Amino acid sequence: MAEPPRFYFEDVVLHDVQETPALTLTETHVGLYAGLSQDMPAGPGLVPELLPLCLTTGLGWRIPQPPLAVLAFMGFDWEVLHPVRVGDTIHSRSHTAVKRSMREGGVVVEERQVVNQRGEVVHRGRFTFLVAKRPS
Amino acid sequence: MTEAGRRWFEEIEVGEESESPGRTVTETDLVIFAGLSGDYNVLHTDAEFMKSSIFGERIAHGLLGLAIQSGLFSRAGVPYATLGFGTLRWKFKGPIKIGDTIRVRARVTAKEEGSKPDRGVVTVERQVLNQRDEVVQAGETELIVERRPAG
Repeated sequence: MAEPPRFYFEDVVLHDVQETPALTLTETHVGLYAGLSQDMPAGPGLVPELLPLCLTTGLGWRIPQPPLAVLAFMGFDWEVLHPVRVGDTIHSRSHTAVKRSMREGGVVVEERQVVNQRGEVVHRGRFTFLVAKRPS
Repeated sequence: MTEAGRRWFEEIEVGEESESPGRTVTETDLVIFAGLSGDYNVLHTDAEFMKSSIFGERIAHGLLGLAIQSGLFSRAGVPYATLGFGTLRWKFKGPIKIGDTIRVRARVTAKEEGSKPDRGVVTVERQVLNQRDEVVQAGETELIVERRPAG
């Protein structure tokens, strides 16, 4: 059986900007997320502040390329700049800022922004992943 | 205290510690989070593929653990009159597997003036522990908390 396609460390291009398709945030997203996590919005009409962060990875999956061969999500730094409300349409913009080869795989640091329908950067941060190298 | 029984910025003390109840992470949690987020990485969704991985089985999305600890934190001690997050610095240190029971241990490390007079910034160090007391996630969060209204 053929291996499913994956995006390996060697395939990652530095500084290549990727924009995902967008997603409109609904009461349903808030209800499902709050029911799952018990993490509530800070006020009426707002979305829980970790929700856009949780959605950025899945938004990345909608870019037509094979999924990154993540061995481990090592960590992230994140900054909440502006409130995000139910009805806002967000997408994610990212680029790889650092690529460091290791013995087992490589470290990839990705700068990521969450952008709303007015083009405002509402959240932003850096994600660090350990990514597999292409099997020889 | 606010009317909803939450603590004002002034009522939070540097050095105070709290620990949440536990929560068992289930397969259902992983499935709902994959559906909600659209993150179908094989790490979280392909039981057969993961048998041959270093984890030996599916693991929870790191961000699912983050979301769950945020909910648990609100149950650890008397909640703050939180307006929102400022920043988060977070490390994923080990896997959360289906059936693991996680809880959050938190300590207030700093309090600072906010960007406006009605709020302050509270820095909270957090550790997410599993049932074996292993730290699976850890980080530092800056929370924007309301001040007690004057008068």
